[in-house]
Amino acid sequence: MRAGSKKDPQDMSVASESTVRQAMLAASDIAKRFGSTQALAGANLEIQSGEVHGLLGANGAGKSTLSRIISGHIRHDSGSITYRDKPFAIRSTRDALRSGIALVAQETSLAPDLSVLENIFMPEFGTRGRLSYSDLNTRAHAILSRLGHDHVLALDTEVRRLSAAQRQLVEIAKALALDANLVIFDEPTSSLSPSEVDSLFDIMSRMRNDGCGLIFVSHRLEEVLAITDRVTVMREGKTVAGNLDTSGLAQGDIIRHMVGKDLGAIYARRDPVAPASAGPAVLEVRNLAAKPAVRDVSFAVRRGEVLGLGGLIGAGRSEAVEALFGLRPRDGGTIQMHGKDINPRTPAEAMRLGIGLVAEDRRAQNIVPDFTVKENLLLAHMGMRNGVGLGYGSRQVKITELLTRLGLPPDRLDTSLLTYSGGMQQKVIIARWLLVEPTVLILDEPTKGVDIGTRSSIYAILRDIAEQGVAVIVISSDFSELLGVCERVVVMSDGLSIADLPSSVLTEEKLTLLAAPRTSTERNVQFLQSVSKEFAGTAFWALLGTEELICLGAVSSVDAPEIDLAPGQAARNDQTAIPQALAKRESRFVPEPDKAVATLLLPMRNKRGHDLGWIGLSVRNDRPLPDADEIAIRVATLTNAEAPIGVDQ
Amino acid sequence: MTTYTAIKSNGLARILGSLEVRMLGLALVLGVILSLLSPYFLTQNNLLNILDQSVVIGIVAVGMTFVILTGGIDLSVGSVAGLTGIVLGLALQVMPIPLAILAAAFTGGGIGLFSGVLIAVFGLAPFVVTLGVMAIARSLAYIFSGQTAISAIPYELSNIVYTSIFGLPANVLFLLALYALAWAYLTYTKGGRTIYAVGSNAEAARAAGLNVLFYSILPYVISGALAAVAITFSIAQILSADPLAGNQMELDAIAAVVIGGASLYGGRGSILGTLIGVIIMVMIRNGLNLMSVSPFWQGTAIGSIIIVALLADRLINWRSGR
Repeated sequence: MRAGSKKDPQDMSVASESTVRQAMLAASDIAKRFGSTQALAGANLEIQSGEVHGLLGANGAGKSTLSRIISGHIRHDSGSITYRDKPFAIRSTRDALRSGIALVAQETSLAPDLSVLENIFMPEFGTRGRLSYSDLNTRAHAILSRLGHDHVLALDTEVRRLSAAQRQLVEIAKALALDANLVIFDEPTSSLSPSEVDSLFDIMSRMRNDGCGLIFVSHRLEEVLAITDRVTVMREGKTVAGNLDTSGLAQGDIIRHMVGKDLGAIYARRDPVAPASAGPAVLEVRNLAAKPAVRDVSFAVRRGEVLGLGGLIGAGRSEAVEALFGLRPRDGGTIQMHGKDINPRTPAEAMRLGIGLVAEDRRAQNIVPDFTVKENLLLAHMGMRNGVGLGYGSRQVKITELLTRLGLPPDRLDTSLLTYSGGMQQKVIIARWLLVEPTVLILDEPTKGVDIGTRSSIYAILRDIAEQGVAVIVISSDFSELLGVCERVVVMSDGLSIADLPSSVLTEEKLTLLAAPRTSTERNVQFLQSVSKEFAGTAFWALLGTEELICLGAVSSVDAPEIDLAPGQAARNDQTAIPQALAKRESRFVPEPDKAVATLLLPMRNKRGHDLGWIGLSVRNDRPLPDADEIAIRVATLTNAEAPIGVDQ
Repeated sequence: MTTYTAIKSNGLARILGSLEVRMLGLALVLGVILSLLSPYFLTQNNLLNILDQSVVIGIVAVGMTFVILTGGIDLSVGSVAGLTGIVLGLALQVMPIPLAILAAAFTGGGIGLFSGVLIAVFGLAPFVVTLGVMAIARSLAYIFSGQTAISAIPYELSNIVYTSIFGLPANVLFLLALYALAWAYLTYTKGGRTIYAVGSNAEAARAAGLNVLFYSILPYVISGALAAVAITFSIAQILSADPLAGNQMELDAIAAVVIGGASLYGGRGSILGTLIGVIIMVMIRNGLNLMSVSPFWQGTAIGSIIIVALLADRLINWRSGR
C-alpha cells in the first residue's frame, strides 16, 4: 500500500513539503466482522505526527469501527497496524491510553458528578499510590493553558454543569493528561455552535503544532476543509482514497469518493419534473421546531404519496416526526391536516387525527416484550379504543387478512414477539398501525436491522398502502432505498429542512451533497433573507462548477425577478435563467441579454481559501442597481466570522 | 437478561403458566409435608383458618400486584393500613358503618393518589416516595389516635367477617370475589392490559396511544384503598383500631407477589400467582404455629422458603433457557 501511494503525486507533495515526517500510525488492510456484517475489509489509514487527518465516509462506511480499533475499544480480525514503527499491541482502551492513543467521542465518557479536575485525571485514579491534589492542580492548569483555556474553566466545577463544548474541552484535557499524542475526534463538532467549533479548531491546531497526530472523523465537509491537512475516504468498510492533500480538494471531490460515482453524472440527466400526484396536501407541516434537534422543518404530503425524509443520522428527522406525533413537545410551527390546524400533544391525540408512527427503535419504542404477538399487534388498536373492554374479537377478520397479506404465520399469535426474527417483528409493528387505518403513516427507518427478503416485501407494503390512499412518510438514512421507494424527498440537515425535490431529479450523490451538514447554513440563509429583502431580489447560495451548479439555498423577495432556482436543485449553467452571470462571474452585476435581470456573484471562501460556494443576487435590471462593492464587503464579513475570534497565537 | 433468554426459548405463555404451576406445586408439596407433620393441619377448621388468615394480607397483595406490574413498589401499604384503621375507628364514632368504611377507603385512595402523582408526574422513584409516605402515614396514625388503640368499635362491624354465605365466611368470600374481579380486570380490559404494557415498555405503550400517565397512577390509588379495606376486615375481627396495625405488612405483600411469579421490573406477573403466593406464606406460618415453633424462628423459615423457591425457579429457567 505504501509503495503504491508513493506514486500518488499528492502524496509526494506532502512528503516534499514536510521535513522528515514519518507515519506515526499505519494501518493496512484491516478487516473486522460483527456477526454476519463485514464492517471493515481492506481499510487503510496512515497518520503522521503534526497533522490533522480527516477520516470521511457515508453512514456505515466503517469510520467509527476503524477509530474504535485504533483506540483499543475493539480488536481487528486481520490486517497489520504499526504504531511508532512497532507492531500495534493494543488490546484494550487501557493499553491504548498507556501508549498515548485517545478517543474523544461524540457522547463524552465523563463522569457528570465529578469535578473537572477529577475527570481530567480519572485514568490515574486506577493507579497505585496517593494522588497529590496540589500536584494535579498544577498539571491541570498547565494542560488547560496549553489548550489556551486556563482560567476559563474552573477546575472544581461539576462536569454536569458544563456546556457541550466545555465537556469536549475536558475530554481533550483528559487525553493530554495521559500524554496522548494520537487523538481521534469522532464527530466532535455536531453538538457545538459555530463559535465553539472555531475554538475547538484553535485547540486542534495548537495540538498539531505540538506534534500530535489528530484524526478528525466528520460528515461536515466545510469543517474538514477548514481544519485537516490530509483526508482518507472510506466506503463500505474499505479505504477508497488515502492521504489526499486537503489543499487540492473541493467538496465535490470528497463526495465523489464517498459515493463512488462521478459527480458529473448527476447533471447529465434533467428529467422533466413529473407533476407528482397533484392532489391537495393531507398533512402540511410549516416551520416545525422542537429544540434542540429540530429547528425549522416544513414539508407536505399528499394522499397516496410516499414522501421521503432524507438526511444523515442526527439531522433531526426522527425528532421532527416525534414532535409531529406528540411524542415530544413542540416549540413552534403549524401542522395542518386537510387544511385545518391541528395540535396533537400526545400520541393518542395524533392517532385520533389519523396519524400513525412506526418509531425508529423497534426494541425500545415499539415492542412490548411481555406481550404476545397478538397483543403487540393490537396495541395501537387498544390505544385508539374508547371503552373498557379490549374489542379484540371485532378485529379477528382484519387480523387474519393482514397477516396473510404480510406473509406472517397466522397460527403463532400466542407466542412471544421476541421469538420472531427482526424482519417479522417489523412487519408485526407495521401491521399494528395498518390495523387502525391511519390517513398518514410515518415509518422511521422501517428496514433497519431487517433482512433483504423482508426489506423488499416492506417496500411492496408501502407502495400498496399508498395506492390505497394513505399518505406515507418514510425516514431512511439509506439514500438508495429512499430514492427507490419515495416519489419525493425532503432533505434535512442540522434540524432544518433544506430541500424538497422529486426523486426523479435526485441521485444518491446529490442527496449526499445536500444532506452534508454545513455549520454555515443557518447564517447563510439568514444573510440571503436579509439581502433579498433589502434589494428586492432573489438571493441564492450555490456550489458552482465550470459547467453546472448546485443550489444550496435561495430566497426571493416579493418583487424579485424569476430566476427559477430552488434549494437542492442542480442545473447546467447554460440552462439556468442567468447563464451570462454564471459564465462571467465578475464582481459586478452582470445583465442577461434578453431578460430584465442582472446578477452579482460573489465567492465565499474560508480562511484557508477553500470554496464554500457562491452567494448570488439577482435583481431587476430596469431600476438602479445596488452597490456591488458594499455587498461584496458584507459577504467577506460573513466568511470572516468563521475565523477564530480572540485567538492569541 | 436470563429471563429474556427463557422467554425466547419457551414462549411467554409457558413461562408465565409454568411459574404459577410450579408455585402451585410448591403449595401442594408444603401442604402434604405439613399434614404429615401435624395431624391438625388437614382439618376443615384449619383449612378455613388458613383462608381466614389470608384475607388481610391477600387484599393488600392485590393492590401490590397492580403496583409491581407497572414496575413500581408501594412500601407505604402497612402504614396506610394503620392510618386508615384509625380513620375508620374515628369515623365510626360519628357516622354509620358503610360511610365510615367509605371514608377510610377514600383516605387510602387519596394517599395512593398523592404517591402516584409524585411518581408518575414528577418522575420520583417509587421506592423513595412510598418510603416517605410510609413514615408520614404512621406518624399521622399516632397523632390522630392519641397514641392509643381505639376500642370503641361497634360490634355490628364484625358482621362483615362472620356472616356466613354458602358455608363460607363473608371475608373469605370477599377475598375470592376480589381476586376474580382483579383477574378479569387485568386480563380482559383495556386498563388492565395497559398496566401490563406500562410495566413492560412504557415508551412503546405511549407511542401506541395508551394513557401511560393515568395507568401509572391508578395502581397506587387501588393499593391505598385496598390497604384501608384490608384493615377494615382486621378491625372487624379484633374490634380495636391500633395505630401500630399493619406494621411490616408491605413486606408480606411484596413477598407474596414475588413468590407468585411477578417481576419487580414490571410487565410480568399474575393475580392468580399472587393468590398462590399469599396462601403459601399463610400456610407456612400456620404450619409452624401448629408445630409450636417459636415465632422468632418463623421469619427465618419464611425468608428461607422465599429465597429457595425463587432460586430454584431461576436455576430451572437457566437450564431450560440455554
